[in-house]
Amino acid sequence: MPAHVVVRDLRKSYGEVEAVRGVSFKIEPGEIFGLLGPNGAGKTTTVECLVGLREPDSGELEVCGVDARRNPREVKQKIGVALQTTSLQDKITPREALRLFGSFYRDRVAPEVLIERFALTEKADACFDTLSGGQRQRLAIALAFVNRPQLVFLDEPTTGLDPQARRELHAAIARMKADGYTVLFTTHYLDEAEHLCDRVAIIDRGRIVAEGRPRELIAQSSAVQSVTLVTSRPLDGAKLAALPGVSAVVAEGTESRFQTSHATATLGALTAWLGELRTEVVELRVKKASLEDVFLKLTREESRAGFSPPSNEAEDQKAG
Amino acid sequence: MTALRTHLGISLRLHFRNKMALIYGYLFPLIFLVAFYVLYRFEKPPLLRHMGELLTVAVLGGACFGLPTTLVSERERGVWRRYRLSPVPTWQFVASTMLARYVIILSAGLLQLGAALALGMTFPPHPVSLFVGFTFVAFAFIGLGLVIATLADNVPAVQALGQCIFLPMLIIGGVAVSLASLPLWAQHVSAFFPGRYAVEGLQACFTGRGFAGMHFSLLALGLIGVAGCLAGAKLFRWDAQQRFAARTGKLWLLPAFAAWIAVGLLAEWRGRIAIPVDKEIVAPATAPAPVTPTPIIASTPPPVTAPIPPARLLTPPPPDPVWMKITPQDTAGLDYHVPPDQGNVSPFAAIDEDPEDFMKEQVTSVRNKIATWPPGAEGDDLRCVRNLLYVAAVPDAIQMPVERYLPRVVYEHLISTYPKEKLTKILTYIALHPEEGMVVDDISDLGVEGTAGDPLVVRERAYLYAIKFIARLTGRVPE
Repeated sequence: MPAHVVVRDLRKSYGEVEAVRGVSFKIEPGEIFGLLGPNGAGKTTTVECLVGLREPDSGELEVCGVDARRNPREVKQKIGVALQTTSLQDKITPREALRLFGSFYRDRVAPEVLIERFALTEKADACFDTLSGGQRQRLAIALAFVNRPQLVFLDEPTTGLDPQARRELHAAIARMKADGYTVLFTTHYLDEAEHLCDRVAIIDRGRIVAEGRPRELIAQSSAVQSVTLVTSRPLDGAKLAALPGVSAVVAEGTESRFQTSHATATLGALTAWLGELRTEVVELRVKKASLEDVFLKLTREESRAGFSPPSNEAEDQKAG
Repeated sequence: MTALRTHLGISLRLHFRNKMALIYGYLFPLIFLVAFYVLYRFEKPPLLRHMGELLTVAVLGGACFGLPTTLVSERERGVWRRYRLSPVPTWQFVASTMLARYVIILSAGLLQLGAALALGMTFPPHPVSLFVGFTFVAFAFIGLGLVIATLADNVPAVQALGQCIFLPMLIIGGVAVSLASLPLWAQHVSAFFPGRYAVEGLQACFTGRGFAGMHFSLLALGLIGVAGCLAGAKLFRWDAQQRFAARTGKLWLLPAFAAWIAVGLLAEWRGRIAIPVDKEIVAPATAPAPVTPTPIIASTPPPVTAPIPPARLLTPPPPDPVWMKITPQDTAGLDYHVPPDQGNVSPFAAIDEDPEDFMKEQVTSVRNKIATWPPGAEGDDLRCVRNLLYVAAVPDAIQMPVERYLPRVVYEHLISTYPKEKLTKILTYIALHPEEGMVVDDISDLGVEGTAGDPLVVRERAYLYAIKFIARLTGRVPE
């Protein structure tokens, strides 16, 4: 089966600012694909180009086998989208919203089915302004399913939700995978990306800086481990950074956090140094790298490489 | 079409769930209607002469505030962004929103019409023309509402822009203040506002010739509506992040405003600036049938020596003056409930009340010229007395400062010219047949400049003064 999403050398600028600079990736059928990146990295612009909200400057976009630049309306028949900031009219009810949005498509799911599936039965006939944040977000995702989509875009669906609502949405996304949907999922919560996504791409300053399965990405940077150290007296951060393999030092009072690419060597040198200082170790934790560590490492590397970062505002001020 | 139909249905349903929309869309126009009813409570039938203004206010509110407020608030919430993700083209949503707004405005108009009928107004004589005219008015202002939605980045900006259009249209655009009472420059300015054509077109369906009297208004409204819709559609913004200042293609605003200018220039070119006078006034249904078929209006006094129109030649002159048949019972049966002498409608200065200095010249001019003023001195008595009543009625209709002093001059001239019994009979006849004869709405020959726009108002005021004069002649009101 051909890939559900093919993006080749996508570029999009807003005035002088290049928001997306040659992004390419593929999403296979049935995959949950995470597009990760800090604010202003270009992930929302990438998604908006794919779903037809933005016209790219250049590049190829193929969605569900359809050229998305030539035939965006046909693409829209095949996809479902839950936007980051979907809000509806105050007085519309979930049932009415699902009926309304369903009427826009050739193939549609009965509102009752979606109401039950997304646990909106109690609030099916309540006005939108009486729904909680979690209920609103579930409705937004239900709206993405009104047309039996082949591919679902979820743009930061858990942003601003409380932990309970987030957990419910994670369950909903896991069910999508079980049902065989292809999902493109953007987030800046890296734990949920690690937990939910089959593959991720990390985008920073308009470019993809890493792509693969979360475990592969972590393994690729497995040399990096996180260390948290609590001592009886504060330590000199500069001297700590001079120990073998140590990077990314953050020293706050008696607590120091850093990363190391050579854990054994670093800990040996650290123990000797603390002995010289006659400083006691209160707590010491060494943790393998997480996706967050990979993300931070990659995005910091990009920063060190001397890119002039586009401001967040630039992406927010998407024109036209 | 399913999408359009469903969206239309939901839009209407949401409108009726929104309390503020109901207050602005229905309650405010009704408040205007009640205010006009109270203000013009002595007009018979009530409100008939103001339905053009009232319906225009209802359409203006619904289209220039209601429509852009809905569009901009939905855009700010991201509703239009969500619509954009569907395969339905944006124009279908815009069309559905416009159609929903038309239905809402139409329902507000029907509510006003129903309320006016309940208050005693007669049924409009041209209902089909009224529907057509109302549709054109709604179309023109909905186009304007789309332009406002395009210009405004947020809801407060809608309110500010709406007021910038609404208030001038009310005050100098002929919507809430009679153009006749405005200076000439304001009448020229009003020709560039769609509100004037809305009022004229709609009013023609109540007191004019209906469709035959609204050709220019329909042309003006159609042109303004097409230009507004074109600009609104071309510059339509579905995303709140698209600020108008950063928008390309702002030149599309030009057609919208060029249409206003074109209509104004066309009106100037065709000499439509002066207040149009209906050639065929429909007699109020409650008024007695005219005795002689002379429902003609003249903007200047008819020359007495002018040749008699051919139509007149076919009508044999009555054997005796019609007023001679008036009996004391007819006089006693008149309705003497008229506005107070100190009010705004048909004011009447007391016998010992002197005009202020700046008015004395006008009062003296009228006092000196009235005896020889041809319309009041030549021809049959009935016509003379009627024309003299207009000398009091025209300044009242225009609400000139001198309005309260001229009735006294007219009254004194009448009682010094006609025997009391004869004058009472003539005035009673006029009060019973206010719709007869020609309206003289220009008394500049007497030294009082100004033209009354609505001949029906002038007739009504002449009727009120006839009653007030009779009340004095018969001792009902002591001098």
